[in-house]
Amino acid sequence: MTENGSGSKSSLLMSFVKMYGTLPLHGITAIPGKISGALMLADAIEDAVPLIHGPVGCAFQRKVNPFKPHSPFYTTPCTNMNDTDVVYGGEEKLEQGIRETYERYHPNLILVITTCPSDLIGDDAEAVTREVSSEVGCDVVYSTGDFVGRSKPVGYQDAFYAITDQMLCNGTDNGDLKRNEGSVNIVTFPIHGAGIKVAEMASVFNDMEIGVNKVCFDHTRVEDLYELPKADLNITDYPMQWAKLMDERSDVGCYEILGWGRYNEEKDPELLSPYGISGSSRVFMEIAEMMGKDGVAEEVIGRRRSDAEERLSKARKGLDGVKIAAIGGLHGVGLNLFKDAGVDVSVLICRTQIMEGRLTDGAINEIVDMNMNLAEICDFDPETLVNPTIEEEIKAIRRSETDLVIAPSTSAHLYNREGVRTFDPTGFMIHHQRVGFECPIELCRMLKAALKTPQRRTPLLSMLQHDSQMHGLTPHWAKLSRAFSLLRADTIGDGLGVEVGDEVGAGVDVELDVEVDADIGRVEGGFDR
Amino acid sequence: MSLIYDPPQDCKLVGAMRAIHGVSDSITIVHARPGCHCGMLLLKALGSNQNDVRVISSGFRAHDTVYGAEGRLSSAIELSQEYFEPGLIAALNCSAPAIMGDDIEGVASSMEEQIPAALMTLATGGYEGPAWLGYEEALVKFTDYMIPVERPSANKVNLIGIKTDDINAAGDLKEIRRLLKDQGIMVNTVLADASFDEIKNAPDASLNVVLGGDGLECAKVMRERFGIPYVMTPYPFGVQKTTEFVELVATRLGREIDSELIDREVELVREGVERVCMFLQGLYDMPVAVIGESGRAFDLAEFLSDELGINVSLLAITGKNHLTSDKMEDGNGYFGDVLIEPDRFEMNNLIKEAGVSVIFGSTFEKHLSSELKAPLIRVSYPVIDEVRITDPTYAGFRGTLHLCETIINAVITENIEEIQE
Repeated sequence: MTENGSGSKSSLLMSFVKMYGTLPLHGITAIPGKISGALMLADAIEDAVPLIHGPVGCAFQRKVNPFKPHSPFYTTPCTNMNDTDVVYGGEEKLEQGIRETYERYHPNLILVITTCPSDLIGDDAEAVTREVSSEVGCDVVYSTGDFVGRSKPVGYQDAFYAITDQMLCNGTDNGDLKRNEGSVNIVTFPIHGAGIKVAEMASVFNDMEIGVNKVCFDHTRVEDLYELPKADLNITDYPMQWAKLMDERSDVGCYEILGWGRYNEEKDPELLSPYGISGSSRVFMEIAEMMGKDGVAEEVIGRRRSDAEERLSKARKGLDGVKIAAIGGLHGVGLNLFKDAGVDVSVLICRTQIMEGRLTDGAINEIVDMNMNLAEICDFDPETLVNPTIEEEIKAIRRSETDLVIAPSTSAHLYNREGVRTFDPTGFMIHHQRVGFECPIELCRMLKAALKTPQRRTPLLSMLQHDSQMHGLTPHWAKLSRAFSLLRADTIGDGLGVEVGDEVGAGVDVELDVEVDADIGRVEGGFDR
Repeated sequence: MSLIYDPPQDCKLVGAMRAIHGVSDSITIVHARPGCHCGMLLLKALGSNQNDVRVISSGFRAHDTVYGAEGRLSSAIELSQEYFEPGLIAALNCSAPAIMGDDIEGVASSMEEQIPAALMTLATGGYEGPAWLGYEEALVKFTDYMIPVERPSANKVNLIGIKTDDINAAGDLKEIRRLLKDQGIMVNTVLADASFDEIKNAPDASLNVVLGGDGLECAKVMRERFGIPYVMTPYPFGVQKTTEFVELVATRLGREIDSELIDREVELVREGVERVCMFLQGLYDMPVAVIGESGRAFDLAEFLSDELGINVSLLAITGKNHLTSDKMEDGNGYFGDVLIEPDRFEMNNLIKEAGVSVIFGSTFEKHLSSELKAPLIRVSYPVIDEVRITDPTYAGFRGTLHLCETIINAVITENIEEIQE
């Protein structure tokens, strides 16, 4: 398999992921609960086992993994709470359950995940884990979902925070940790395929004399987690509460590739699109500065950049004058990548319906403006359409003589049947989009391939009705989506005061909901429906 | 026995949802924290008609655990009516609101006049019981809406125990209808694969047919309330059980069986068997494990053992019903070890020890199947990694041949090099 994942094994994996990536789930019609998020973390740590402190349903139903529906969580033991436990408490069961989990699976970490029943009856998971952990030969950590406020995905954030708080930086065993001076950790969401996606970044760091202490999650084990506090810096995709805690307790700095906090202060849209040649140069330089390596970094970045630009100029051949319709949003293929690829963004489509139940009008407008500003920075002058019908889109596409529409496979057929070719951003975003100089070169190759795809005039999917606003959904699913949105936001008002960029609050909420969507294929930054 | 339990079955919520979702114009409101709703939605979207998922959330939020979420539920009921105009709206009360004491029955009864759809509520807290109880209770609840009939139609039966999200359920049902129709027996209502009007009209039948034991409570209540007798039949896997099924139904209706028709069907099976006779000979004594719910797994295992000569080394019942203990006795001799609602870890270890060549189970046996390099034939709920759009059947005479070809193909299409690795 090649570094960028173009081998046949990887190709099957991409198709496999994409098959399930069209589910309109995260933030669109449903939100996975905290158990799923915590299970995702437990699953990503090879020698960890979850123990769900709750009834059978909390363990059985959660085997269906909402983040990777193709890959169930096969091991989900639970304490099998019943109605008697709800009355008398389930702490004894939890205590016994931890012991048995150790005896059965011999893990190096047991992650206790509490559930609605055990939370509501007030079982003291903290006291139980403290009591039992000395009796078993492994770490025991509990996650309730209460440690991280509204940071999303709550279960994932909370479980990682719990591991940091109770295990890695608990103030008792971590004092004499020998630092791996001048090194960083690269910690990405467990569904990213970290090993492949950060290989180039690690290589650039190596040239900049910055060591890579750990890459997570890439066959990560508990012993790897214990090594995390040895680094000088944690690099994460998004704001992570565990990283902030590790900064406070163990003086490991943190750098967020997507700078929501900074965006809130500076309102620079490029902070939220850290890709392409210039975005990557900025990120590498900022990390180098934090590591005190800005001197050497300048030379390395310059050299790498120049090498990439030379190859990029060759890769761009055939794309000059190509016009594309891009979809704006918090995520999606970054507009600056299109700039690098040498294409022109002639139409910018923003769909806000899915966010309407969760964000204020002001926040939505800000996201639209942010996309327009980024287009301007990239020297594009697109016709911007906000919540257009498909007919309006097609008209604009024809008017501007656009060659290619960036459209996920949920709506591609709507353009194809009109004779317009499409580029599916899903695979690109999941498997290729990353900080690094190779990414735009790969995009050029993929865009050229898309321009050569045969015309698909009669896709069977066109036999179905589609919602006039949320193009990727049938009318039925659009109703489910609207119902979900309304019912989550109604009378109680949660979600109505949300502003873009609220640190660790709604801004992050939006960001991460969207990110999760992207990772299973619901790309286009939440504007797509 | 271990306290910790990696369950092979779900909670009441899922059982109830499986029954209610079988009502084609129903909406299920999951009154719960988001995880339960997301789980239901995923199971439906991955395991059945993808454009017919009718499950919504009440929008329950964390802070509702303090102030209650009855208001949210009433909003969800109103919105369900407005958006979907269903015949039935069912609110399922899950663990969090159940512990908090949300009065969902009160909410429903206060809205009865303003909502045209029938409103149904059910207690489905995760700690309140397993999925099969939820299924039974939901079917019993349906009887509240049934309209008594003075003179039920002769030769019309209701089928009880169908779950639309079982693999091949649509094809099985089509075959069962065909078998009965050939004998001059019509199906009135299928519980649960019907419109709400059809559910209401269920008493217009002269017999309830309980397949595999699922829905027995409902049949008993219908006998009590509407005077409809019931007959217990096997789930018609294979020639013997299909014949038995037809005979039992016809006999209880006092009808003569058209034996010629049965003979003709059996002859078609014989011809099919002839076409693959050598492979079928090869299947003889093959050790397999069968994992599934009581309503189907016992009968499937018996067919495999009795008619195909396969050794069912291990039968694991993931979800019981009221007939499970009887079935265990009846099936004695057809299977090796029988596990009832086992812990998945222990079950997997026993299957590994049994050295089986094929696993009949659900998607959740995929990992085990890969580990053992034993093909997985998906026959049990949930199947979320295989689709059916052409309605093939495993039931009835036609299903017998389809099962034969599925099993043979599962073995012979394997790549032997991979197995030998």
